Amino acid sequence: MPINKAWLFLLLAASGFARAEVPMADMQDEIPAQPKAANLDYFKPRELSEIPKGAFGDKIRKGYQLFVNSQQLSGQYVGNQLNCTNCHLDAGSKAYAAPMWAAYLAYPEFRKKNNRISNFAERVQGCFNFSMNGKAPAIDSPELVAISAYSYWLLMGGLLDAFGMQDQPVPEMSDKALQEGGNVASFKLPGPLTDKVKLDARGHMPGRAFAALDKPAQAPSPARGAKVYEQHCALCHGSEGQGRVMADVPVIPALWGAQSYNWGAGMHRVNTAATFIFENMPLGKAVQLTPQQAWDVAAYMNSRERPQDPRFTKDVATTAKTFHADDNGYYGKELDGSVLGSQAFPATRVK
Amino acid sequence: MNKHLAISSLLTLFLVNHASAVEVPEAAQSCVVCHGAQGQGTSQGPKLAGLTSLYMNAQIEHFISGERKNVVMTLMAESLVDLNVRQQALAYYAEQGTAPELQKRGDTLVQSGAEKLYYQGDPHRSLPACYSCHGPSAVGGGPFPRLAGQQSSYLKDQLVAWQKKQRSGDPDNTMGHIASKLKDSEIQALADYLSAIQ
Repeated sequence: MPINKAWLFLLLAASGFARAEVPMADMQDEIPAQPKAANLDYFKPRELSEIPKGAFGDKIRKGYQLFVNSQQLSGQYVGNQLNCTNCHLDAGSKAYAAPMWAAYLAYPEFRKKNNRISNFAERVQGCFNFSMNGKAPAIDSPELVAISAYSYWLLMGGLLDAFGMQDQPVPEMSDKALQEGGNVASFKLPGPLTDKVKLDARGHMPGRAFAALDKPAQAPSPARGAKVYEQHCALCHGSEGQGRVMADVPVIPALWGAQSYNWGAGMHRVNTAATFIFENMPLGKAVQLTPQQAWDVAAYMNSRERPQDPRFTKDVATTAKTFHADDNGYYGKELDGSVLGSQAFPATRVK
Repeated sequence: MNKHLAISSLLTLFLVNHASAVEVPEAAQSCVVCHGAQGQGTSQGPKLAGLTSLYMNAQIEHFISGERKNVVMTLMAESLVDLNVRQQALAYYAEQGTAPELQKRGDTLVQSGAEKLYYQGDPHRSLPACYSCHGPSAVGGGPFPRLAGQQSSYLKDQLVAWQKKQRSGDPDNTMGHIASKLKDSEIQALADYLSAIQ
C-alpha cells in the first residue's frame, strides 16, 4: 500500500506547517497556496453513480446539482452568472482548484486574529455573498445542507477507497454534523487515520486550495496582462470578460463586470487568481502560461470593475482601508486615472 | 474565377430545378449542393444549420490558411472573398435548424460512456467536460460549434483530424490537446452520441 502510506505521511507531516494568519473581516480570507505535492493519485472521489439511494443520498445528489448548475438559484441566492464549478473545477473534485474534499476536512477553521471559528456551511455562505454576488441561504437551509453533504461525500468516499474500503458506504451524518465540517474531534477519519491525524493538520490535505506559484520576476502588469488575455483567454471568456451564454444558459464564466464575482470575493486577489490561472487554464490544457503571464493576466482581469464589495461602508477609501488593507488586490487603488471600486456594479443583485 | 462562376451557375440551375420551394438567399446558394438548402448536410458535406457565423467564418479562414484541409472546401472558401456576401450566407445557415431539448449539467447524475464524458469529463485524465465549452445539449455558441445533430462520420473525422494535427487553428491547440487524449472507442461513442441529439 505505498500510495496510502504516502498520503498518511503527507497529512501527518503537514501538521507542522504554519497556520494562516490573515486579517479576516470576511469569510473569503486567504488560504496560503500550498507547495504542489508530487503525486496526487492517492485521492479519488467516488463516481456519482455510487451515491447511495435514499434520503441521505438525495442530499448529496442535490448538492452536486447545485454545484454544477448553481444558476437554478439565480435571483434567489445567486446574483451573477457563475456556477460553483467554474472555480471549483471538475465539480469540486480537482486538486489545486479549491477541491471541496480538502475544504470539508479543513472546517471549522479557527482564526486567531478575531478569535472566531467558521464552520463549513458558514464558509459556503461566504461564497454566496461574495463569489456568487448573491445572498447566502440560511445555515440550515436545504441548499447548504446539500452542498455540505456533497462535499463530505467527496471526502469520505475518496478516503474509504484510498484505504481499500470500496465496499463500505459513506456513513450518514445529521444535518447539524454536515454543517460543521471535518475538522472536529467528533469527525472520525476512516482506516489507519482514525485518531491519528491531529486536528490542526486537517487544514492541509495535499491538493487543498491552490498550488503555490513562483513570485513573478517583474511586478504584475495589467498592461502586459491585457495582451496575454487577448491571445489566450478572450476567445472563451469574451473580449470584455463577459463569459459566454449558450441557449440562455451561462456556460463560460464572466471574469469581470456585472455578472462576475464581487470585490469581496477571494478570487479578486491577484495572487489567488494567478495561482488558479497558472495551474488550471486554459481548461483542458493546464499550465500553458508562464508564471509571469499568469501574474500579468490576473492583474489585468482583477483591475477591471466588478460588483461592489457588499461590506461597502461610507466610501471606497474607507472600505479599502477596512477590508482590503492587506490583500493583494486592486480595490481602492488608482489605475489609468480611475480608482477601482468607484465605478463598481451593484452588489448583491438578489433581495 | 471563371471556374467559380461556372460552379455557381451550375448550382443555380440545380436549385431552380430541384429546390425551388426553398428560398435560399443568393449569397448562400453556392453552399447548397454539399450542405443542403437548409444546411442540414448531405453525403458531401456536414451540417451547417445552427452553427454560429463566428465559427463558420473562422473555418472559412482556416480553409484558406491551410489550418483545415479539404480540396473542395478550400476552393469554395477562396471564392467567398466578398465579406458582405460571405456574412449573408453564414447568417442564413446560422438561423437554420431547430434547437434541441436542453439538457443541463446536473440534470442526470447516473451517466455512462459518451454522455458521461460530455457532462462530467474524466478528471483522472484531466479531460474537462465537453459541456464546459459546447454547452447544454451541445448547442454551441460563439467560437464553439454546435455538435448536436451533426453527422456522426463528420464528428469522428474531425476528432481524428485534431489528433493527427491535420486540423488546427484554435488558440493554444486546446481542442487538439483534448482530442489527443481520447481513445478510438470514445471518439466513435462521442460521434454517435452527439449526432443523435435532436
